[in-house]
Amino acid sequence: MKRWPRLLVFVGAGGVGKTTLAAAAGWLSARDGARTLVMTFDPSHRLRQTLGVGAEAALSEIPVAGAPGGRLRASLLDARTTFDRLVERYAPDAVARDRILGNRFYRTFSGSLAGVLEYMAVERLFEVRAAERYDRIVLDTPPTREALDFLGAPRRIVEFLDSGIVRLAFRSWFDDSGRPRLTRRLGPLGRRVEAGLDEIVGVDLLRDMVEFFRAFGPLYEGFRARAAEVERLLREPETGFLLVAGPGEERIPETLYFARRLREHGCHLAGVLVNRLHPPLESAGPWPPLLAFLSRRDGEGLRLLAERLGEIPLGGLPLLGDEPAHLAGIERVAGELETALADLG
Amino acid sequence: MSKGVIAALANGLVFVTGKGGVGKSAVAAALSLALAEAGRRTLLLGIDPRENLHEWLGVAPSGGERLAIVPGLVLESLRPRLLIDREVETRLPIRLLARQLLAHPLYHQFVDGAPGLEELVVLAYVERCLHGEFDVVVLDGAASGHALGQLLAPALVAEAVRGGPFARLAARLRGLVSDPRRCRTVLVTTAEEMPAAETFELAEELTAAIGVPAALLVINQLAPDDLPVARAGEAAPLVLWRRRLARQQRERERLRSGWSGAVTELPWLPLPRGAALAHALAEWLAAAPEAPA
Repeated sequence: MKRWPRLLVFVGAGGVGKTTLAAAAGWLSARDGARTLVMTFDPSHRLRQTLGVGAEAALSEIPVAGAPGGRLRASLLDARTTFDRLVERYAPDAVARDRILGNRFYRTFSGSLAGVLEYMAVERLFEVRAAERYDRIVLDTPPTREALDFLGAPRRIVEFLDSGIVRLAFRSWFDDSGRPRLTRRLGPLGRRVEAGLDEIVGVDLLRDMVEFFRAFGPLYEGFRARAAEVERLLREPETGFLLVAGPGEERIPETLYFARRLREHGCHLAGVLVNRLHPPLESAGPWPPLLAFLSRRDGEGLRLLAERLGEIPLGGLPLLGDEPAHLAGIERVAGELETALADLG
Repeated sequence: MSKGVIAALANGLVFVTGKGGVGKSAVAAALSLALAEAGRRTLLLGIDPRENLHEWLGVAPSGGERLAIVPGLVLESLRPRLLIDREVETRLPIRLLARQLLAHPLYHQFVDGAPGLEELVVLAYVERCLHGEFDVVVLDGAASGHALGQLLAPALVAEAVRGGPFARLAARLRGLVSDPRRCRTVLVTTAEEMPAAETFELAEELTAAIGVPAALLVINQLAPDDLPVARAGEAAPLVLWRRRLARQQRERERLRSGWSGAVTELPWLPLPRGAALAHALAEWLAAAPEAPA
């Protein structure tokens, strides 16, 4: 990687070591004199453990003690906290704010609504980026079922806001007695439709949802503008993606799939890093059979991946004797990462 | 059937989860094979939108069709979305209305956006399959964070929705996931620091969420400690391997001493991902005694 992008995003499947590498990248960047923020959206708080910051990092950016030059900070995302903050910022007045924060639907689901974590990730990222307190931001992406879900999150939110569901919510669906107006006007047929709806989802649930969307009404414009900007941010040349992959041939299809998705999305893929490679065995041995098997597997996998990636730069990181779970070990990983990044050209 | 790991998981829902990359799907496939071998009518259910269980059973991806793997074992890759559509079709009184509703963009937005809906539908499907058709359903659950969502969904929905069929369904499914005789959670981990730490976290959250501790901890991918005594000037790969083995032993002990429930261990075999490996692990599980820590 010739030039360090202002925003460096680590993506990849779960369990490949993204979080550790993101922390190591932050460490390298700070060592080079750049004011750096490492952000993670991992709900299991492993970065917190690695960097030794407390739960307060969910609310603000916390300096990482012992990092080079005191220039490294860490921030953790908590979907609920970010969501609450957004509501407070965009709500036109206290009444609108309290109406949302008090909605039962919101209270129960703000942390688990489909796509919310992903959206909150990019939202918070934008907020930090706009404040310009950092030269570089390193982002560890959320462990979604589809590891690249967060890329599409801003667009999905905009589509959702532009869709009829929001406008529909503003109609008066329910009369004062709490019965759906539409079906009442339809007479006997309406009652059948109402019974059908009630049978499927329950009219009470629909009423709660409509209330929720209506309460959100005043916030939509702010959300929409922001989502479009976040979308741009993810594609700009100053944003680089590093795709982290596990070793071995069996991981190749997944890696190629991620690479393709990133490019289709217009994102700049700075390179692919294959992490935790078992060492090549130069002599005939004797070696422990499992080590020999894994060494061969990883070497073959790397060779095949290089073939299939074509132009995309590829780097490898060796398996370490001790995986760092704390900042003390990060320096070692950072050294390996630096070598691998140099390999990316 | 002998008294062991398999006997203890022989009926109801077996929910397999763990951190990404620890071999959840391999363990789910191996468990299913062992259960079928022990004579249990077994359904192995995957919910990952990118099908992967077939790779462990040596069959081609089916696109959602059920596949008979060995006598007593059926594999199905579930599309929760299709289940929801089917449910609407059978429940809505007017066919034309059902068709229009299914085609309407608002319906899609509702189904995509409604929290907990997919999770409930998956559990409802499991419940139905256990009603006579299968003795045991092995669910290859999502990784830790999402898995919690899967088991928590009934309680969340039951709390947020006041009445109606949704609330009734949610309450019934909450009963299913919190009944230790009908639902058992299997946590898979490797003997490494981060997966182990996440396993303890997940175990605690699960217990808090459904009130039932995990039924079994599987320590997967244990490399055999078959190195000769260390010598000075040893080749670098051996030095590295020795350190990995020492670390593995440390984490393994930490897992075993910190775990209050049943534990079983699976070896790291020099085999590529695939059916041969799943069958080998199944044999291992079939022989495994239920080991109280």
